[in-house]
Amino acid sequence: MAGPLLSLAVTVTSEQHVEFVLRKIVDGLASQPGVALVRIWLLPSVHIPTAWQEGAHYQNEIEHLRLVASAGNPIRSPGEDWSFLQGRFSRFPLNIGKVGQVAADRHPIFIKDFAPQDTWVVRPEWAEREEIRSFAGHPLIFQEELLGVIGLFSRRALDEQEFTWLGLFANHAAVAIANARAFEEVAERQKGEAEVRELASGLEAKIRRLVEANVVGIVMFSLEGAITGANDAFLQMVQYSREDLATGRVVWMDLTPAEWRARDERAITELQTTGVFRPFEKEYFRKDGSRVPVLLGGALFEESGNECVAFSIDLSEQKQAERALRRSEAFLAEGQRLGQTGSYSWRVATGEITWSEQLYRIYEFEIGVPLTLDLIRTRVHPEDLTLYEKMVEQARNGENDFEWHYRLLMADHSVKYLHAVARATRDQNGQLEYIAAIQDVTARRVSEEARDKARSELAHVAKVMSLGTLAASIAHEINQPLSGIVTNAGTCQRMLAAAPPNVDGALETARRTIRDANRASEVITRLRALFSRKETATESLDLNEATREVIALSLSGLQRNQVVVQAELAEHLPLVMGDRVQLQQVILNLLRNAADAMSTIDDRPRELLVRTERAEGNQVRLSVKDAGIGFTPEAADKIFEAFYTTKTDGMGIGLSISRSIIETHQGRLWATQNDGPGSTFSFAIPCALERVADAETRVNRTDTSTGAV
Amino acid sequence: MPHSFVMGCPKSGSRNRGPLLSVVDDDQSVRESLPDLIRELGFAARVFSSAEDFLSSGSIDETSCLILDIAMPGMSGPELQQELKSRGQKIPIIFITGQKDEAIRALMHKQGAAGLLFKPFSDADLLTAIKTALRPLEVPPG
Repeated sequence: MAGPLLSLAVTVTSEQHVEFVLRKIVDGLASQPGVALVRIWLLPSVHIPTAWQEGAHYQNEIEHLRLVASAGNPIRSPGEDWSFLQGRFSRFPLNIGKVGQVAADRHPIFIKDFAPQDTWVVRPEWAEREEIRSFAGHPLIFQEELLGVIGLFSRRALDEQEFTWLGLFANHAAVAIANARAFEEVAERQKGEAEVRELASGLEAKIRRLVEANVVGIVMFSLEGAITGANDAFLQMVQYSREDLATGRVVWMDLTPAEWRARDERAITELQTTGVFRPFEKEYFRKDGSRVPVLLGGALFEESGNECVAFSIDLSEQKQAERALRRSEAFLAEGQRLGQTGSYSWRVATGEITWSEQLYRIYEFEIGVPLTLDLIRTRVHPEDLTLYEKMVEQARNGENDFEWHYRLLMADHSVKYLHAVARATRDQNGQLEYIAAIQDVTARRVSEEARDKARSELAHVAKVMSLGTLAASIAHEINQPLSGIVTNAGTCQRMLAAAPPNVDGALETARRTIRDANRASEVITRLRALFSRKETATESLDLNEATREVIALSLSGLQRNQVVVQAELAEHLPLVMGDRVQLQQVILNLLRNAADAMSTIDDRPRELLVRTERAEGNQVRLSVKDAGIGFTPEAADKIFEAFYTTKTDGMGIGLSISRSIIETHQGRLWATQNDGPGSTFSFAIPCALERVADAETRVNRTDTSTGAV
Repeated sequence: MPHSFVMGCPKSGSRNRGPLLSVVDDDQSVRESLPDLIRELGFAARVFSSAEDFLSSGSIDETSCLILDIAMPGMSGPELQQELKSRGQKIPIIFITGQKDEAIRALMHKQGAAGLLFKPFSDADLLTAIKTALRPLEVPPG
């Protein structure tokens, strides 16, 4: 048996997988002549990964050996497969039979020759049938640990050498099993480790992904300051290279500007006490010395360790946006201040009111004082309170856009004029909110009122001045008939005192007296008519008639200055809409200026031409042409300016007022130089929409005129 | 009374009345009323509506005294005075005016007017002025 067994041993040792080792052993031994059955059982606690054990779960069994390898040669049991492991003796009680004894005693047993009837034989009928006579059993022991049993049943008597070989194979099997078990344990451990590693590497991989994705900067450093690692994003943030880091040139402190050191210290303290430091803003120095604002947060690797990992987010964009926002806020505030405009928002449902600083200033409240409608009401001018309430009501009802004007009465009793424009919007919750801008227009209003007042004062002064001239004209106008009356009366007296009395002559003088008195009366009537009008009475009027009146009133004055007045007043001149008094003012002004322009002219007639005519664009034009000194091109722009005059005693307001009056009539006043000497001043104003009834009015008015010039 | 004064340097007036007084005034009521008064005062009177009319009338030589409105369109009173002077006429002139400005009086006097009356003037004032004007010349020719 030595030869084949040796080669079997060699074969087995070259086998690595435990199940093949065991199988080779049982197969090899069973193929020896006379060997009936070879089996290997293992203790339940010994687990080896074998393909055959899939169906069996022996974890909880402790009393039985279990069969793991079997080979045999049945002679009397055809159809039986003695390599089948699941049969009757797949589990062998530990205390039964010699096999059990081997396991229990941990000692090999060699029974050279036995009879089937021996008491220890478990299946005597089988032993008899199969002519089994000899049994050798060996424990499988590795490093003092019993792993199992190998048993060999033979039909012939086994010898000592075979018994020894069995022991050899038993050892070998034990070693194989132990190795397999060790491998399995290692494999398990490795598997466990692999799983853990798998888990770990999964998380790790994910975190690595984050680090390598460079969405944030990641940096690792020691608390002493050495930077031990960083991702590209971080390097880019501070513009150092990996080489810079590798050389250890860069220390954590180098990156931090001096003013941030204290904050860093606090972070380190937090790190040491809590293991983390919560995100805070700071700045880094880049390699080139420029600064980058960052958000920084991190944690220690180990609780009481020294190494820290931190994330760092570049806040440059945010900071820029913040700056831009602050700048635009500053612009807005400044703009509001310059424009004297404040803004507010009013959430109607909650009553929440928010004001800009400028609005506080306008209302003269301390900036930031809590705002309520009641507080605001304390400033609204008492006369405008009703208006204000109406506005509040409108707003509550959700009216869309509106604007209103109201006044404030300040603590010092001064009045402010406000102009407010409001727009209804919905806030993010869909609630009604008003956004409004309120402008302090007091300055404008005050200046408007002052301007209007000045204008009316000037107009008054102009009128008074004209009045002076007019008065002189009127005085003269009345003086003429008065002189006639006095002369005629004197004549009448003398005629009646003559001897004989000249009664006819006296009658004639009396008649003339009455006529002259009437004439004087007419002048007064005309005067009254001229000045009885109210301030701004717009009516449709006949410009020709108005012109005639003015000419009549000022004629004597003009003639005194040797001015020859010609009038070319168009027939059927359309009516115009306007204020009679004001328009006559203008005409008077033009006549006076024309006369003044000619006051130094000696070498030609002082001719003054007044002309009225239809003008294009449905207008009526009146022009006053003189033969005077004219005006220079330089003066052309200025003559309509207030207070410009070439006259030594003039006030220079006539033309500016006149132009203003004409412009109020939607007309235009202008001056041109004549082809010959002198200038022509003209104005054009729109025609009135004529109605048939107006023609009648015109007829009535002609009674008071003194006829054509 | 109208006939009881003495005149110097008589020129023959028309209708064997007194001296001829020519009235030049553009005002109609003056032209109507003044000649009657002048006649009641015992003088002859002629009336013209403008200086030009007077100059072209041929009455210059017959006129003993001119009653002349100052402000007139066309040739004014003072201008007529100049014209007559340049023609060598030495007719005494009484200016009449509606403008009550005493400064004019001085001016007219300087210009060699015989008198100045402000309208309305009484018949008595007129008579006084005429008498003064028709007195023998005391004013140096100018």
